[in-house]
Amino acid sequence: MNVRGNVLPLDRANVDTDQIIPAHYLTGIETTGLGKHLFTGMTGGPELLAAHPDASIVVARENFGCGSSREHAAWSLADRGFRAVIAPSFARIFFENAYNNGIAPIVIEDAHIARLLEAKSLEIDLEAEAVTLPDGSTLRFELDPLRKEFLLSGGYMAFLARKRAAVRAWLERRDSSVLPDAKETRFSTSM
Amino acid sequence: MPKSLFEKVWDAHEVEALPGGNALVFVDRVVAHEITTPQGALEIERRYDDVLFDPKRIVAINDHVSPAKDMETAIQAKVLRDWAKRHGIALYDIGSNGICHVVAPERGYVEPGMTLACGDSHTCTLGAFGAFALGVGSTAQGGAMLAQCLVLARPKVMRITLTGHLQQGATAKDLALTVVGTLGFKGGTGYVLEYAGEALASMSMDERMTLCNMAIEAGATTGMVPPDETTFSYLRGRENQPTGDAFEAKVDAWRALRPDAGAAYDREIAIDVSALRPMVSWGTNPGESVPIDGVVPADADAASLRYMDLEPGRALRTIELDQAFIGSCTNSRISDLRAAAEVLRGHTVSIPTIVTPGSQAVKRAAEREGLHDVFQDAGALWTHSSCGPCLGMSMGVLAPGARCISSTNRNFPGRMGTGGRVHLASPAVVAASAILGRIASPSEIFQHGASAPLGAIGGHAAPIFQHGASAPLGAIGGHAAPISKEASAPLGAIGGHAAPIFQHGASAPLGAIGGHAAPISE
Repeated sequence: MNVRGNVLPLDRANVDTDQIIPAHYLTGIETTGLGKHLFTGMTGGPELLAAHPDASIVVARENFGCGSSREHAAWSLADRGFRAVIAPSFARIFFENAYNNGIAPIVIEDAHIARLLEAKSLEIDLEAEAVTLPDGSTLRFELDPLRKEFLLSGGYMAFLARKRAAVRAWLERRDSSVLPDAKETRFSTSM
Repeated sequence: MPKSLFEKVWDAHEVEALPGGNALVFVDRVVAHEITTPQGALEIERRYDDVLFDPKRIVAINDHVSPAKDMETAIQAKVLRDWAKRHGIALYDIGSNGICHVVAPERGYVEPGMTLACGDSHTCTLGAFGAFALGVGSTAQGGAMLAQCLVLARPKVMRITLTGHLQQGATAKDLALTVVGTLGFKGGTGYVLEYAGEALASMSMDERMTLCNMAIEAGATTGMVPPDETTFSYLRGRENQPTGDAFEAKVDAWRALRPDAGAAYDREIAIDVSALRPMVSWGTNPGESVPIDGVVPADADAASLRYMDLEPGRALRTIELDQAFIGSCTNSRISDLRAAAEVLRGHTVSIPTIVTPGSQAVKRAAEREGLHDVFQDAGALWTHSSCGPCLGMSMGVLAPGARCISSTNRNFPGRMGTGGRVHLASPAVVAASAILGRIASPSEIFQHGASAPLGAIGGHAAPIFQHGASAPLGAIGGHAAPISKEASAPLGAIGGHAAPIFQHGASAPLGAIGGHAAPISE
């Protein structure tokens, strides 16, 4: 599967989730329609988006998506048409959320980021794990082999649904030496 | 093979290994709040017949904006509430709720050796109990409600050995900021921070929660503190825990969670906590912090300086403030409120100051001690429990350019309001700063005694309540102490009126939580 698209050059590190989408936009119960809030918490963010209206690939510096667990960050990117974020490193929760929402979090070392920031467009081959620059040069990257499935098939929840029987079986034979009554669910409703 | 605490907990929960170094990890407990739960719950309702793996492993808490501020947040709360009731899920709602990371442990839902997930990055707070507790996205939380598992890459383990003991004036918050500053904003990414060392023994559960709360600010998966007698004492007698022999049997099992001698760690660092001073952030991530007597560093990040409108070399204690906030999952428990009250007692704040207890149970405990009077005597706003101003989502939002000192965990650009500037510090430092209107150390207040600057409101310098401070409210048992004329008389001092509001207040009951109060330790 290929992602061919224009670049949103985000030449900064530590783009946190409050910059991607501020908390006051987290008031919905659905995962859609959040693109209009994307990067509104970032100084110059809306202007940058306006200057690159058809961008579908973010290129940024290290520690992209740090901060809160809000999946709204991934939802707002996806809603705006973004299919990939390229950065030298990602925060864990955003990294997981991206995979679960059809956004490829692509790790490419910092030495190459300047070139990628200057590219108007990129072509990313997710199956082959390679990104091609306008000059024809290619950079390789690695995707998590399991999460790549979620990415290509959108199937995190479906994957877990298929695991339920195995989980129940595991629970039956669970080693209870650490948690003596872990099989019990003794918790009461306090209200 | 000797194991770390983390390895013991992980190995007891790994259901199966998955490709790419991932694993299917069983989740003992899911904590669900109204901002990040509805999406996954609706997905399960629409595509998986609304069947949850085990509703009794879930606890639902309306926490971020509760009571709702508008129609949208009212809908979020209602979705969570209706969903919890439909599935028989324990629910903490208006009147009994608060910040989920405060409510879950105080209600006994968190215990050593457990795995716990919540759609909130500060779930790492709960690692203080020796649990593997981590924040996840809504989809991952949904998966944990559907199959009671997470898909996780096994994290590395960093042991952080805390030597010495915290000295007077230094707090767990200062330690947390020091850890983030030492590791850097992303230095913990991919790691669990497993704490060790002699300093832990004298740290309360409140302090351990403050420490673990900020593990995520270094990018870490979570923090963990090995359980000990302090942990067991906190849990003994708590609701949702067994009593008597059944509880003691659990304690015996929990003792086995201590890390083994010779356990291997992927990285080790040591921090001498004896040398800690109160810390304050100057920049736009929590790692950009220095001791309160320090200056903005010479090599400070240019973008951070620009956003914060500061320059290298600027002494922190000369930075003037517009607002102060005491609260959040970092510092809103009873010991935090006591520390702030100790500074504020007999003084008056000179800037708008908001004090938000972490839960209704904390609020009631504070009121039984009269802390609400100390805060309100000082001119601060004493609110209901919630996440409050911390994330700029409901009350207390900062205006662009406004500068706030805050006992919270994030100073990101726009965190407390677009364009607002945040300085992170301990509750005591926030309290001192609220009095002086600039970044200030509690020692400055204690040195000056009762004569420190008072009275910003209308130029009055006298304490607003002269007699109110000692009135105890809300006795255990669900009955409220009568509100005396004496306590309420000076209300409305602004404008010159002093008419009592409740002349016959003896019958005013103050909301009992389920007819009994949760024990608040510390």
